[in-house]
Amino acid sequence: MPLSAQEESDERSVGAARARSAGRVVLEARGITKRFGTVVANDRIDLTVRAGELHAVLGENGAGKTTLMRILFGELQPDEGEIYLDGQRVRFRSPRDALRHGIGMVHQERKLIPAHTALENIILGHPKTGAILNLREAEREVSTLCERYGFRVPLHAKVWQLSEGEKQIVEILKELYHGARILILDEPTSVLSPPEIVKLLESLTRMAKEDLAVIPFITHKLPVVLEHCDRVTILRRGRVVAEMETQHATEQTLAAAMVGREVVLQLERVQVPLGDPIVRVQDLWVRDDRGLFAVQGLSFEIRAGEILGIAGVAGNGQEPLAEALAGLRPVERGTITLDSIDITHAPVLERWRRGLGYIPTERREVGSIPTFSLVDNVLLNYHFESEFSRWGILASGQARELTERILREYSVVAAGPNAPARSLSGGNLQKVILGRVLARKPRFLIACLPTHGLDVGAAEFVQRKLLEAKQSGTAVLLISEDLDEILALSDRIAAIYEGQFTGIVPVSEASKELVGELMAGLRRERV
Amino acid sequence: MSSLLVISLAAAAVFAIAALGELLEQRAGILNVGLEGVMLLSGTFGFIAAKTSGSYLQGFTVAILTGALVGLLHGFFSITLGSNQVVNGMAIWILGFGLTTYIGYPYTGPLGLKPFPTVAGLPTFFLVALALAIAIWFLLFKTHLGLKLRSVGENPSVAEASGISVTGLRYLAAILAGMLVGLGGAVYSLVYNPVWNYNYLQGWGFIALALVFFSLWNPFLVVAGAVFFGVLWQLSLYPELLFPNVFSRYIWRAMPFVITIIVFIVLSTRWFRLRWGATKPEALGLAYQREN
Repeated sequence: MPLSAQEESDERSVGAARARSAGRVVLEARGITKRFGTVVANDRIDLTVRAGELHAVLGENGAGKTTLMRILFGELQPDEGEIYLDGQRVRFRSPRDALRHGIGMVHQERKLIPAHTALENIILGHPKTGAILNLREAEREVSTLCERYGFRVPLHAKVWQLSEGEKQIVEILKELYHGARILILDEPTSVLSPPEIVKLLESLTRMAKEDLAVIPFITHKLPVVLEHCDRVTILRRGRVVAEMETQHATEQTLAAAMVGREVVLQLERVQVPLGDPIVRVQDLWVRDDRGLFAVQGLSFEIRAGEILGIAGVAGNGQEPLAEALAGLRPVERGTITLDSIDITHAPVLERWRRGLGYIPTERREVGSIPTFSLVDNVLLNYHFESEFSRWGILASGQARELTERILREYSVVAAGPNAPARSLSGGNLQKVILGRVLARKPRFLIACLPTHGLDVGAAEFVQRKLLEAKQSGTAVLLISEDLDEILALSDRIAAIYEGQFTGIVPVSEASKELVGELMAGLRRERV
Repeated sequence: MSSLLVISLAAAAVFAIAALGELLEQRAGILNVGLEGVMLLSGTFGFIAAKTSGSYLQGFTVAILTGALVGLLHGFFSITLGSNQVVNGMAIWILGFGLTTYIGYPYTGPLGLKPFPTVAGLPTFFLVALALAIAIWFLLFKTHLGLKLRSVGENPSVAEASGISVTGLRYLAAILAGMLVGLGGAVYSLVYNPVWNYNYLQGWGFIALALVFFSLWNPFLVVAGAVFFGVLWQLSLYPELLFPNVFSRYIWRAMPFVITIIVFIVLSTRWFRLRWGATKPEALGLAYQREN
């Protein structure tokens, strides 16, 4: 959307015309149906997006959001149904085809080149970019876009230096620069702190007012949606179950529509008398893969029977912290003690033997070996124990028994203990990983994003099990990007921002606003 | 002393031109470890063409075309078939080594043309190498084509999603690289040391390959590194010029290769990767297959 003076005045008159026609339908999908084998992912979905309003699509994981997005973006062809753009029937054969019609998509996983600058990423591949790069001209155009919608991003910084929120803005700018009029955003709020979410939604609202159709697809963060979006379409099990104006909706009605039953948004958090400190971390410094200090002087302790929740936006040092505690990443400075024994530089195995348990973020990459059976996956946490291996020979009977017990107690849906891990859904696999580690009765449990990407039922289950572990005297470090989850489970909350704690507050004193501001680095409590 | 420098620059030209070609394709994500083979093939065919026709022009043309052809072949295997690029490069080296030994044998001996002219006493092809370094730098960092090439080498799926033909650009890079590497091979066999012998190149291609990593994919550092290796090579031949009676000459002869190995060890340390690692094209040596 480069603007010469001439075009700018045109733009203005068009804008005026548009204001008069507010409510005009920009994008309409009628009766979209898509089947994968016997599964109906989208069942006669209707979606109508009008100019000048911010229209969100809500739904749980597995409700069919992703399929619908991919169809709108030309990545998938619907089995039935039609798409209309400005009243014209269109058909997208490929994402590039969709972009030619002005549909831009901002994915959840970033499609940027980390080694290039933000500006280079934005202009990459645009036909208008001449043979010789004119970065100054491009910068002027992109800056105009930034001003118009209230974005702030350092255009000449390399993308790997940007925060997750800034990267998302670069992607939005890229789509706009390449001429998108309809912008589909996949979970745009998931990588942002609460204040950043508000800013982004304000920018999106500004875009929506200018005749751009902006469609965020969202799973969580219902209150913000209520506040900033004009209209929502709610999907459940591949169908549209409701379309409503947000002014007539409440958080409860949205949640109920998404889940299909009344949702109790409360977990029972039992306070247990705190025991001795189990874990003590003193002035911990850890580097990330790029060699920069991602963890900068963190100190904390966790007592038996306590959950310490680390609240923060992705990429503020949570991963390196967890990896350093688990022994997967070297510690540069500081100490970690477990039951008063220094394990700062102890090998992973020694930590496990001393009672550490670890639930990694990546269920399928680090948490399990997809092609292995569940028994073998369970063994990954036990192979070093004498009951499970004698003279180097595995006690397969034992392992099988344990696996069966886990499958039973955690109501895992699986073909059996010998089913390969990859055949399980995310929720069921997470239950196996959780059961596997909790059966060890760990003294100290590190849980990284334990419910990320799980449906409400499985998430509830995992959360209850974490609370049970705490009640039986485990010290739990909970890392989550979901503030609601942190508030619901933790006894104390530590907000992390750029590798430092901006505050550690007991849950009784923690409000959502306070923790949100701490996470965004907008304020600091004395730590 | 000054003659040592001049002959060092002549050697540097060979290293630099070949390494610049390799740098170009590595920036686009293609790794050809068989530089030695490409240079042997094009150097030999260029030598035969020049010797039989008596014309430098024909010699260089044949060498460049040969390089382009081998580049195309490497492209076909590593882009279209998606095979392992390291294995592929090794095959090219072995092919080049064997084929040139067989075909070149009847032409063993000196080229027998007038020595290639110099410019103001400097080796002509060193100046060509300098010009090429500037041209490639400009191409990579100042043009849209360069941005696209680098994108393809960093993350082909992002490039594809931005409307760039990964296959097309990688072929372009492989062929251009082949031409430059071929030219480098001919500079050796027609100018630097115009006497054909079996395995006349003695591992220069591998030094050129090391130079690319050594340079952190920067064309100017390629030239600087090439001068360094050029001086080192001459010193290994005539160590008594600067350091009489230090070490035996066998140790000096091994020096360029020992240093190459040291460079690779340093490059693979954790310290180096943390400090400089971001400069390596992320998709280097990885095949890319379009989805669906």
